[in-house]
Amino acid sequence: MSSDHRLALDNCIKCSICVSHCPVARVTDKFAGPKQNGPDLERFRLEEPAAVHPSIGYCTNCKGCDVVCPSGVAVSAMNCRARGEYVSLHGAPLRDKILARVDRMGRAARLAPSLVNRLAGLRPLRLLAEKMLGISAAMTMPRYAKKTFLELYKPKNIGDTGRKVLYYPGCYVNYNAPEVGLALAEVLAHNNIRVEVEQFDCCGLPLIANGLLDTARDQAKKNLAKLQGYINRGYDIVTTCPSCHLTLRQEYRELFQLNTDPLHEKMLDVFEYLSVLLQQGKLVTRFEELPLQVGYHQPCHLKAAGCGVPSREILQLIPGLRVADLDAGCCGLAGTYGFKKEKYAISQAIGRNVFNAVKELGVRQVISECGMCQLQIHHLTGVAVYHPLQVLAQACGPGKWLAK
Amino acid sequence: MNKYTDVLIIGAGLSGLMAAAKAAELGKKVTLVAKGMGAVGLSSGCIDLWGYNLEDPNQVCQDPLAEIARLCAVNPQHPYARVQDVLEESLLFFRRVCQENGNPYLDHRGGNWLLPTALGTLRPTYLAPASMAVGDLQQVRGVLVVGFRELKDFYPDVLAANLKKSGVLQADCPLNTLMVCAGGGELTPNTLAHRLENPAVVDRIVDQIKPHLLPGAVLLLPPVLGERWDSQVAKNLAEKLGHPVYEVANIPPALPGQRLQQMLLHHVKGQGVEVVIGCTVNGARVADKRCTEVLATGAGKPIKISAKTVILATGSFLGGGLESKPGKAWESIFRLPVEIGHEKWSARDFLSMAGHLFNQMGIKVNEHLRPVDKTGEVIIENVMVTGANLAGCNHPIEKCGNGVAVASGYKAGKLAGEVGE
Ligand SMILES: Cc1cc2nc3c(=O)[nH]c(=O)nc-3n(C[C@H](O)[C@H](O)[C@H](O)COP(=O)(O)OP(=O)(O)OC[C@H]3O[C@@H](n4cnc5c(N)ncnc54)[C@H](O)[C@@H]3O)c2cc1C
Ligand code: SF4
Ligand code: SF4
Repeated sequence: MSSDHRLALDNCIKCSICVSHCPVARVTDKFAGPKQNGPDLERFRLEEPAAVHPSIGYCTNCKGCDVVCPSGVAVSAMNCRARGEYVSLHGAPLRDKILARVDRMGRAARLAPSLVNRLAGLRPLRLLAEKMLGISAAMTMPRYAKKTFLELYKPKNIGDTGRKVLYYPGCYVNYNAPEVGLALAEVLAHNNIRVEVEQFDCCGLPLIANGLLDTARDQAKKNLAKLQGYINRGYDIVTTCPSCHLTLRQEYRELFQLNTDPLHEKMLDVFEYLSVLLQQGKLVTRFEELPLQVGYHQPCHLKAAGCGVPSREILQLIPGLRVADLDAGCCGLAGTYGFKKEKYAISQAIGRNVFNAVKELGVRQVISECGMCQLQIHHLTGVAVYHPLQVLAQACGPGKWLAK
Repeated sequence: MNKYTDVLIIGAGLSGLMAAAKAAELGKKVTLVAKGMGAVGLSSGCIDLWGYNLEDPNQVCQDPLAEIARLCAVNPQHPYARVQDVLEESLLFFRRVCQENGNPYLDHRGGNWLLPTALGTLRPTYLAPASMAVGDLQQVRGVLVVGFRELKDFYPDVLAANLKKSGVLQADCPLNTLMVCAGGGELTPNTLAHRLENPAVVDRIVDQIKPHLLPGAVLLLPPVLGERWDSQVAKNLAEKLGHPVYEVANIPPALPGQRLQQMLLHHVKGQGVEVVIGCTVNGARVADKRCTEVLATGAGKPIKISAKTVILATGSFLGGGLESKPGKAWESIFRLPVEIGHEKWSARDFLSMAGHLFNQMGIKVNEHLRPVDKTGEVIIENVMVTGANLAGCNHPIEKCGNGVAVASGYKAGKLAGEVGE
């Protein structure tokens, strides 16, 4: 055990603040909670890896525990490693291996996206998948786009500002929500900045969350090498998915001991990037009026990035737009978690606060940066859910960015 | 990343949240960053102001505000001496915020409440959430202590036996206990509180309690009646039973403190405060006695924050605001000098109950809450210090932790609000 690791363990003062904030432990007694599964059991696991308790699978990796811990204990990383150990000892169910490969599912769906969408809506098929595989029949499946973002995106010829921007879209934007990537290009074009794109591997978060650490590590190395290449050539890297962002920047370091320092400086959430422009007086702040009242849901992995809500400042520049914070905690989906039959009810119980907040505020549109949060909020409430970039793109000019 | 703001508050404990609420109300752009959550979520949820008599520490103090006025005269080093001017104002502000958010806090006719704990002892406190504010136990005509089979750490029989011993109840007051079942399993207070948000579960609890109710009885339960600050569980339970229902103070994690924390966070966000938890401040740049920039990291990423006023609400050793090695202690961000106790008090009777010295350690400030050195000279002009960070109080013994946090946080927010453009 490294001295860092020991330190992280000894930092735990057993205050239970993490337990009182864990969304899973809040709604079910099937999960012992972050303190017990994290620092308490880690001691035993370090001596005896087989000591991993199977209930570790109930952790959603939302990272709420890390955020609230007053002593800086990286509880969720301990849980991820433990889940990895459990899976390497006992194997993962086929279902988890399928769900964890969102990139492969995306590529497979390419063959006939509308057919896949139609099949995903067929009740008998879904019941069969629930029975055979354990994929909840009740959960709304993400829809696949007719064309991927990489297919759709055509770089425009724009006046050269000398700024070099590479976009890491992530699987969800590429296969399911290309409009978010296009909105990004639109917003940056509004500022005369051209976006480069490139085919990356999946960031690996779904693999990590399902305990398939070896594959995730391989992808991490490939992604980092590619990103480093762009950084060396003077690029800024922007992301629109908070989970990809956190995985690239934090999980690669915490779980795989890879050096992510260059990313801390050079990789930015798109709204952080726009804030930097604003601070330099370079942001084009000519926005059209948008008389809209929307609710905002902060994804857990954006919270965990410890940088606040980067979109706040920028969206405040749009005349007419009013953004009300739902402030309702975790939505409960946690990527692949809420699709699992035995976890669906937990996931929905966690998301209940989001449902209540949407109802209380009476908003008919919600914005949130994470594609999975968007899916869950729509599933819970039926309201339209967008990425904040789509709202911003709408304020930048014509185009129909908020039609669904 | 750089951030610019009028008022930067470091720390999301009670004092930081109070400062944020006040500065935002005064129209300032406020950013609050914190490494993690504060101690208020671990506290009973009650606001202690001053527990016992200065002269006779075995006597519960009847008039905390008057006692604090006397304290400030005999011990001008106590944090209350720096905030006495706003003490009552701060409590009114706190109560207004709680009221507006549907989580009213009640005082006991200006004196101390004497509230039962899970151990059956009686604990003085100044403000209690409505769900905990048991009136005069001397006058009740019966007590029923109700525990849950699912919950460890709450034994009705222990509570009842000690409450009887305390002599606070009338000799003929019936005192009974009951264990009820909320659906089985072994639950944490949070999970149980979540379960009780389901009206059907409350109905089943009501059915179990009803046969044991004596006329006029008051019910005492563990602090699990409601997940959120605006929860209706305690109220609904009381209505369905037709008897008053109260939560007693218990060891952490208990819900009333968490509710207060969540409510205040929700309130300041609603006031437009930017709240960033999971962001650790590691250092600061200071030039000409002014803090020009605070250096923080969020998930490893460096963030620089510039602010006109910085409020240091980082708590003491528990929260990480102060650090120590044997024989040495320091403040962790600005390296402000830390006072290590003071002898003057040991002559006084009050110290017969002296607690740990480390509780008294902290940063010395002037009447504007600016940190000062031994000679009283201000060390950094645009920094203010609040809460458990302040030198000279011993909250577990004096029963003043949340009180000092409320008053000093409020004052810092108010002073920050007065800073011109
Ligand atoms: C277990 C317990 C029970 C208590 N019960 C009661 C009670 O019943 N009644 C009562 O009146 N008082 C009680 N107290 C005392 C009272 O709660 C505290 O004195 C008071 O809440 C302190 O508030 P604070 O804002 O000063 O600091 P804290 O609540 O300690 O908050 C400090 C904040 O600063 C943050 N922080 C620290 N260092 C950094 C950094 N470098 N960068 C960023 N952020 C940082 C922390 O993460 C935290 O958010 C209790 C205390 C404890 C520990
Ligand atoms: S991990 Fe952190 S929050 Fe959880 S018990 Fe330990 S110190 Fe407290
Ligand atoms: S990561 Fe989330 S679900 Fe897992 S232990 Fe931490 S708070 Fe609980």
